Amino acid sequence: MFEFITPMYVFLIFSGTLVGIIFGAIPGMTATMAVAVCLPLTYSLGLDNGLALLLGLYVGGISGGLVPAILLGIPGTPSSITTTFDGYPMAQRGEGEKALRIGIVASLVGGLISLAALFFFAPALAEFAIKFSYVEKFLIILFALTVMAALSEDMLMGIFSGFLGIFISLIGVYDVTNGGNGEFRLIPPGTEYWLEGGFSLLPVLIGLFGLATILEAAEAGMPKGQSLKDIEVGAHSRFSRSVFKGQIGNLVRSSGIGTFVGILPGVGGSAASILSYTATKTASKNPESFGKGNPAGIMASESGNNGLTGGAMVPLLSLGIPGDATTALLIGAFTLQGIQVGPLFIGNNPGTWSSIVIAMLIANIAMFAIMYFAIRWLAMVVAIPKHILFPVILMMCVIGAYTINYGIMFDVWTLLIFGVAGWLFTKIGIEVAPFIIGFILGPAAEIYFVKSLESFGTLSIFFTKSWIAVLLWVLIAGSVAGSVMLARRKAAMKEAEG
Amino acid sequence: MADLLAVSIDFETSHLLFPKLIGSILALLGLAILITHRRAIAHSGAMWAQTFAGMDKLRFFGTLILTVIYFLLMVPVGDRWPNTGLGFLICSIPFVAAISILYMHERDARSLVPVLIVAVAAPTLVWWLFTYVFALTLP
Repeated sequence: MFEFITPMYVFLIFSGTLVGIIFGAIPGMTATMAVAVCLPLTYSLGLDNGLALLLGLYVGGISGGLVPAILLGIPGTPSSITTTFDGYPMAQRGEGEKALRIGIVASLVGGLISLAALFFFAPALAEFAIKFSYVEKFLIILFALTVMAALSEDMLMGIFSGFLGIFISLIGVYDVTNGGNGEFRLIPPGTEYWLEGGFSLLPVLIGLFGLATILEAAEAGMPKGQSLKDIEVGAHSRFSRSVFKGQIGNLVRSSGIGTFVGILPGVGGSAASILSYTATKTASKNPESFGKGNPAGIMASESGNNGLTGGAMVPLLSLGIPGDATTALLIGAFTLQGIQVGPLFIGNNPGTWSSIVIAMLIANIAMFAIMYFAIRWLAMVVAIPKHILFPVILMMCVIGAYTINYGIMFDVWTLLIFGVAGWLFTKIGIEVAPFIIGFILGPAAEIYFVKSLESFGTLSIFFTKSWIAVLLWVLIAGSVAGSVMLARRKAAMKEAEG
Repeated sequence: MADLLAVSIDFETSHLLFPKLIGSILALLGLAILITHRRAIAHSGAMWAQTFAGMDKLRFFGTLILTVIYFLLMVPVGDRWPNTGLGFLICSIPFVAAISILYMHERDARSLVPVLIVAVAAPTLVWWLFTYVFALTLP
């Protein structure tokens, strides 16, 4: 049952977590980038060991962001923005080490609670989803897109980005293996040779999350890193477990919120930590102490963003829909190993399922052990110069793209195309997360939609197939209505502020 | 009502059905964006001018140009020694070094030493790992 637990497996989780923490701790580099850059290393590792490395990177990457957030007031990853609110004031008071330890413990709690949610919830959801026909599967994808759009900065742009992702994913041949007719569409004449299978997923992802990030930093002139002298760890601040007294409710609530946000497709860590921070502040007896160095704020933020990790794996493993950008990359890793994630995944691959859960458990423990006992060294990671790191990352991106299909140069050009596109997207307001989810789910959505119509011959089937279909329409309508209301409230608040 | 919703799909042209549908939705959404964001779109020229004026042109375009040269050279160089991955190794060392120097702020001899060490060591390590340990082909 547990034969996958080998010294290599444990070693890979620990190294993944360590590298993830380093990526997370360097401002401008994220967990997603860590997974993108290290994916090629998993090509010859086999599924269990490959996932062990990637899950370590994921957990470590999400957690590492708290280090610069607390020590410098700069979030290492978008998901630790709210950690700066109370962590940095504490560090300025000379309580940096205490604040870091609080954040690390909260991260562990968030990770473990969300892992429990994954363990119990994913198989149940998968079992339910096995009964879905193409009609319900299509509606689920539609629901995923509307939820993402609802939680985007700008609903219209969010949904546009999702549909743009679907459109780009349709380039190439209508795949015969899925029942298509093998005809080309959406490609300029003369490019059939390169674009027969469309753009490959991983080069697209590596471009959007690796190269685009580096281009943004280059545009900004490679902002200088912090020098070690500026970093004050506050080594004499005492950390005791009594800080957590009366905070169990906060930790559980924040982890729960993080997990829930993780389950929603395409919604990332920043939403998780912002929502749990706000909820904790609202529930607090003295909300005015938040933002001035209240440990409860760090706990809410960090347990919230680590709650994301287990949550985001739920829709991935039960429905085949990634919960955030990093889990979208994991789909790539599965595809690489020839495994399709969806409702049948857990039932058909019980070994891999246990290996994923155990890997996440070990990764959380590794994250805690590494960060708790190596705080002093972590502070030094923040100061690694970018002019040394980024060129190496660029080179790793090229390897990842080139080796994905065993040596196709067009995949390397795809990396460049989408790297530049990712940079353009941030300029014109196209959101990367919905785009990626659309791009990943596009081909499946097409099959579900066209095949449903071919079998039933009427559009009404999408409303009348089953009660689940009706329920999904209610949810879709609810998410659209909710987002319109949110947008109105935002607009009203803006007006009120003048 | 049932007749209105009825569709029959010709298998010969079924590859165009979904792209057309998604294309039309994109066009509609695009139109809606044009209307609701007309002010921002009207000012987009100024936005780009500002972006261009504010950007670090040397580092941004330098990255793009070096990357294109790197990609273009990798295969022809690799073809001289087929299936060895040497094209990757030979092109990566100067590429990593050049990008590092481009991104540096103080380019004195003392800071150049670690940069050059990494520029030689990192590609060599990766090349060795992929060629010999993983047995994957590099250009």
